[in-house]
Amino acid sequence: MQEIIETINWAIVTPILIIQAILIIVALIDLTKAESTNGPKWMWFFIILLVNTIGPIIYFIFGRSRD
Amino acid sequence: MQWMALFRKEITEYWRNKKWIWVPLVFILLAIIDPVSNYYLPQILESVGGLPDGTVIELPDFAPAEVVMMSLGQLSSLGVLVITLMSMATIAGERRSGVSELILVKPVAYRNYITAKWAALLALVWASLLIGMLASWYYINILYGELSLHSILLVIIFYGFWLTLVVSVSIFYNTLFKTPGIVAFLTIATIILMSIVTQIFSHVLVWSPNNLTMYLMEMVQTGSISSDLVWTAIVTIIISIGLLIAAIIALKKKELAN
Repeated sequence: MQEIIETINWAIVTPILIIQAILIIVALIDLTKAESTNGPKWMWFFIILLVNTIGPIIYFIFGRSRD
Repeated sequence: MQWMALFRKEITEYWRNKKWIWVPLVFILLAIIDPVSNYYLPQILESVGGLPDGTVIELPDFAPAEVVMMSLGQLSSLGVLVITLMSMATIAGERRSGVSELILVKPVAYRNYITAKWAALLALVWASLLIGMLASWYYINILYGELSLHSILLVIIFYGFWLTLVVSVSIFYNTLFKTPGIVAFLTIATIILMSIVTQIFSHVLVWSPNNLTMYLMEMVQTGSISSDLVWTAIVTIIISIGLLIAAIIALKKKELAN
């Protein structure tokens, strides 16, 4: 395992991690500011944090209540 | 000008619901996921293990043109899904909640209302496509070999016409139905149906929009724009404009009937 971590070229992987982090942070900020969401807020909190990559996207598409 | 006001309203709304942030980011992820994961496939297989000693897996070396097609493949499936889902309520939702009645009660021309929404969506989709494919281009140049900026820009332009058609289909169904779920379902169903029809009648429908990516691959490999590609693009644009006009007529009839 240690070997693999060393062989990873971080210049390639870092941008992906940064994009995922931005998605999570923006989704969480939006969630705290939102007055109401489709479904309970705590549920979306866990979806955004725990469902890798698509969690924030699912929140943006289905979580925000439109009005 | 009325149209500009409507257009600006849409653009600011995209800021408010963070679409300007998450849609481009998702397109970047979709465009780079295959180039990166294919590059690391040998290491991934090795670390997963379970292979007997001495197993040699010959993985093909991908040419840059093939990798571009991988990125487009992701955008064609998941990217189209994202576009469909984020646009499913753009008019349908407003009609449902009554916002569109508030807007259209004023002397707002239907064509302004619809074309402004269409143009705003296109601005978002084209910007996301541009950023996503440039990210893919960056990775291709690092990992697979040289691909000229010229050819990637051509790919973006021609592929953008296909996404324009997807947006137009979605706008069209938006004016017909008030339920966003139905709009999304019908948009996806239409695109799938189009690809099936194109495959069945492939000898007749040479310029079907679904063939666009096929001609694009040819273009990246040979470096020259075939006349088939140009005609397919023209057909795609004509269908998009046709759908837009149909959407304007449909909304006019629907709203007058109410």
